[in-house]
Amino acid sequence: MNQKAVTFVSLLIASAVVVGIAAMLPISLVPGYGKAVLLLVGLALDFLAFTSRYYSYLLGPMIKQRKKPVILSKENAYWLSPSSDSIMRKENETFVSTVYVSIPVYSSATEMSDEQKLNFVNQVSRLVSTAKDPTRFTTQLYVMNKDAAIQTIRAAQNDAETEEARLVQSNAKQSEVERAKGKSSMWRGMMDNIGSVTSYELFSYACVSASGMKEFEASSLAQQKAKELMAAIGATFGVSPSIVTGTELLKLVEPEYLIPVSTMHEKINKDIQEEVI
Amino acid sequence: MDRDGAIYLLFSLMVPIMVFVLLGDFGGGIYSLIAIALTLLTVLLIVGMNWADFVIFPAFTSLLGVSFQPSAGYKIPKQQNAIVKEVNGLYYATGYLTANMYSYTFKIESAEQDDEYKMISAPENWERIVSNIGFPMKFHVLASGLDVQKVRDDLEGRRSYQEFQLARAMQGSNPEVAVTDIQRKINTIQAKIDRISQGERPIAALMYLETSAIGISEKEALDSLGYQVDQIKVAFSSMDLSINRIAGRELYYLFKYNFALPSHYGEMAQSFDTQG
Repeated sequence: MNQKAVTFVSLLIASAVVVGIAAMLPISLVPGYGKAVLLLVGLALDFLAFTSRYYSYLLGPMIKQRKKPVILSKENAYWLSPSSDSIMRKENETFVSTVYVSIPVYSSATEMSDEQKLNFVNQVSRLVSTAKDPTRFTTQLYVMNKDAAIQTIRAAQNDAETEEARLVQSNAKQSEVERAKGKSSMWRGMMDNIGSVTSYELFSYACVSASGMKEFEASSLAQQKAKELMAAIGATFGVSPSIVTGTELLKLVEPEYLIPVSTMHEKINKDIQEEVI
Repeated sequence: MDRDGAIYLLFSLMVPIMVFVLLGDFGGGIYSLIAIALTLLTVLLIVGMNWADFVIFPAFTSLLGVSFQPSAGYKIPKQQNAIVKEVNGLYYATGYLTANMYSYTFKIESAEQDDEYKMISAPENWERIVSNIGFPMKFHVLASGLDVQKVRDDLEGRRSYQEFQLARAMQGSNPEVAVTDIQRKINTIQAKIDRISQGERPIAALMYLETSAIGISEKEALDSLGYQVDQIKVAFSSMDLSINRIAGRELYYLFKYNFALPSHYGEMAQSFDTQG
């Protein structure tokens, strides 16, 4: 019998016993209000027994721990596999590996005719129907991490300013100096603007999971399923999907990668500056 | 209701029945009335729990102020409608919403004029929503293949029943509307059987939205999340979807599915049977 059924049967028996005691005890031993309290406890146990159908994962820890917050697990939600191409999770004695596959489709509805739009919807429908085992298809909109962009723009700005200084010092032609000035002014403007608005990126992907008694068994089974999925995506959209790895993978599971802290800090600072001004 | 649900309900209602049988033994007079009131309340709660556990159970945990830690670093607040994570003093609150888009992505029978227009407008509507939304959001389709033979047998059984209904409707003096309605149902079932015969695999799909908000305190993050949820409801109103915020156990399972998908369709179906 599984844990859920054991919880249900135990609570149901406890409920029946308490209600039975409330009814059977003579009134000389337990007054009427005592029986009412016992009945209330018995019926509460009955309600909990039914609740265990949906919430057995909460009821056990709630009753055992009797403190807040109720800890369902102290383990990390997942860990990255050594090859960084999947995430691992342990459930009871089984390892579950999940692999993420990108769907690089970059077409836009604004460029499509009605027939193409209908075809696109049908392609999506066909892709979803290729799922044999549970498969999740996702499109996510997330805050662009501008750290790299900021570094690139800063480097380009420095280069432009150095070039401008060099041209001024070497008495170069006026047109060349003006061009260099324009270039550095453009990068400066970009630098000022980059923190003032939040930019977003859109990314589509699919993921599959497989379980095994050993970590490598789960991982290799998941990789196998991912290859089948990649073939289906390729055949449906005519694109080359790839397995998502490393930091890119974290963007799909962790909220702090979905909303990068440094970029958000810059936005918050910019907002505060504007408010003060 | 599935077989398991019926078993749980039946056995749980045995105790209230037992109370009614032993009613005289609870002290009589006012105490019997109290016993009746408590028993009726329990029956009401059990039946309510069967249909809307996502309302009743979060109400209990809110009342008791119980929050949960599903994994290290994560927290489910007492309202059970969000997952909160703290990273370097910043709080990230994630919430889920139902978003069934069947009419857009899955043709029931050959697309009629209206359905075709709906499907043509879907990509453009989606792009408009994405470009205007202004905060992080995910749209998920969790799909799983079903047993072809089982689904085919089920559909054939349903077609036979509808054919029987049609024969009865034709014999009696039923209005033409009723006959047309039954014929439409038969056509729908037949279209599904034909698609399976052509080699298409029947699937079960669950569609939902996810959004995350950031705040310098848990309350701020949860408030921002509430605002984003309302914004999503408004943004998707153009697509005529039923969008509801997910609470209770289904939120917990969706959180778990972020890291490991269910191993088979049965597990997926057991986890979602009310809000999905």
